[in-house]
Amino acid sequence: MEEIDTSVSKKRSFFRFWNQPKHAAYLFMAPSIIILLFFMVIPLIGTLGLSFFNINIFFTGTKFVGLDNFVQFFHDQRAINSMWHTVYFTLLETPTQVIVGTVAAAALSRTTLFNRFSRSVFYVPVICSLTTSGIIFSMLLDPNIGWIPYVLHQFGMSTPQFFRDASLAMPSIAAMTVWKNFGVTMTIMLTAIQAISPSLYESAEMDGANKQQQFFHVTIPQIIPSLGFCVMTNLIGSMQVFDQIYVTTAGGPEFKTESAVQYIYSRGFSAPYQLGYASAVATILFVIIAILSVSSNLYMSHKEKQMR
Amino acid sequence: MEARTADTTELVDSTKKSNYHRNKVIKSIIFKVIMSLLILIVVFPFLWLLLSSFKYEKDIITYPPHIFSGKYTFQNYIKVWDTIPLLGYVKNTVIFAGATMLISLVLDSMTGYALARMEFKGKTAFYYFVMVSMMIPFMVYMIPLFIEMNKMNLLDTYTGLIVPRATTAFGIFMMRSNFVGLPRDLDEAARLDGLNEWRIFTKIMLPLSKPTLMALAVFTLTNNWNDLLYPLILTTTSSMRTLPAGLALFTGQHISFYGPVMAGAVISMLPLFIIYIFAQKYFVQGSAMSGMKE
Repeated sequence: MEEIDTSVSKKRSFFRFWNQPKHAAYLFMAPSIIILLFFMVIPLIGTLGLSFFNINIFFTGTKFVGLDNFVQFFHDQRAINSMWHTVYFTLLETPTQVIVGTVAAAALSRTTLFNRFSRSVFYVPVICSLTTSGIIFSMLLDPNIGWIPYVLHQFGMSTPQFFRDASLAMPSIAAMTVWKNFGVTMTIMLTAIQAISPSLYESAEMDGANKQQQFFHVTIPQIIPSLGFCVMTNLIGSMQVFDQIYVTTAGGPEFKTESAVQYIYSRGFSAPYQLGYASAVATILFVIIAILSVSSNLYMSHKEKQMR
Repeated sequence: MEARTADTTELVDSTKKSNYHRNKVIKSIIFKVIMSLLILIVVFPFLWLLLSSFKYEKDIITYPPHIFSGKYTFQNYIKVWDTIPLLGYVKNTVIFAGATMLISLVLDSMTGYALARMEFKGKTAFYYFVMVSMMIPFMVYMIPLFIEMNKMNLLDTYTGLIVPRATTAFGIFMMRSNFVGLPRDLDEAARLDGLNEWRIFTKIMLPLSKPTLMALAVFTLTNNWNDLLYPLILTTTSSMRTLPAGLALFTGQHISFYGPVMAGAVISMLPLFIIYIFAQKYFVQGSAMSGMKE
């Protein structure tokens, strides 16, 4: 009897212990935290660790090589070029997407039937995968059967090779990315614009400001934080560009569109499967992205403080 | 004399007014023309893809290209199943994206709930851990993840595809913001009524979070459905590929037959498109949430 009692009360006290919010919280968080630790934190440390080794995908002849992989990076013209291509893509894509998205948001901020329809349409490419977009645009830009070369030809322009032209391939990929993603920027900026208090516009109007002045002196200052967020996430996202390049040009012609992630992927997952070296390149790219995101974070919070 | 001046001022006033009015109409027409052009740019590729997927190969590869064709056929949609293991891709994508969505909804809301409404030791540290996790790109740790999965024999398995994606820092962040916004006295009242923590979470808090859960659901579904690099790395055999990875490998850079590829592209985006038509506001909400700053 007594034994059963103690086991029941033990069970109860066990339950009571874990039912207190200060203890239950750990149970609630445990699955997520374990997954993040196992499949993100440990691999992340692994990347740094691997970059000091010569290691291939079959784990044969694994050897500690210290900083050799990093030294190799600075002598590897293809790797350095891939970094430049990534920066080039980012400089093409980010400003364009942010401007197109913001202008679309500003133009469509009033809720009319036409505007709502336009917004719905502009969001459709967002749910389409980059793979599908890539397939569509490979065909639309195809010099033999594509619509875009045809239309350009009708306007008397020469028909370029787009994805197969070394100088046009990257701008084409960037343009396609803007087409696919500007709906995201538009949505974020729309939320920001609609949150502006109408009284600000009223007082601006009373001061005699026209629509353009209102846009630059009321709208823009109010949406700066969201604008900064869009620029930042876009920069960081663009630095990881992969899908659209993999599908459309696979890095060609002559590696002219090979991005950093594309290079890491082909180094690690195709012959000669140099996982160690690929990890070193990944570490370098991570450092660049981390510097970008930390510095833009600091800059934005500094700006926000200034405005207050 | 006096009457005439009054008349002229009225006249000037009314021409001013009609001018203003006309300007407004012209502006609105210009605005609609520009927007319609933009709509055309966005819609045309999809319409053309859809129409062409029903054309005969010889009608697709004409120059100049045509929007419509005299004859339409289902041949591409039949051929595509033979040329690529599309049925397998669809099945894999549904299992991977569907299961990931369901599990991450549960795990993300649990963690978000704890971070939002419970007081415990190390709360701030956990919160910052989640925030920093959001900024770590997948490509940085994909190689060790591949090795890890390989060592655990989880490559080419559904478990291996689903588990690493079964929670996302963004999802936790999104659910946390949702739970922070719920009234404080709700759980206190429930606690006084003797409900345990799990019950409070499932019976009171989750039902109040349906809109955010829906937004997170379509957000994770879309991300995983469309993801390319992740399934590309964690699957090595054709039978485990998802739609984007399978289509990308099938088309490569050289497309030999356009028709079946287009049919495959249509099939790959159709499910999300249908969900989008019915749940549009949740898609938009997910994107808007990603731009939310605290």
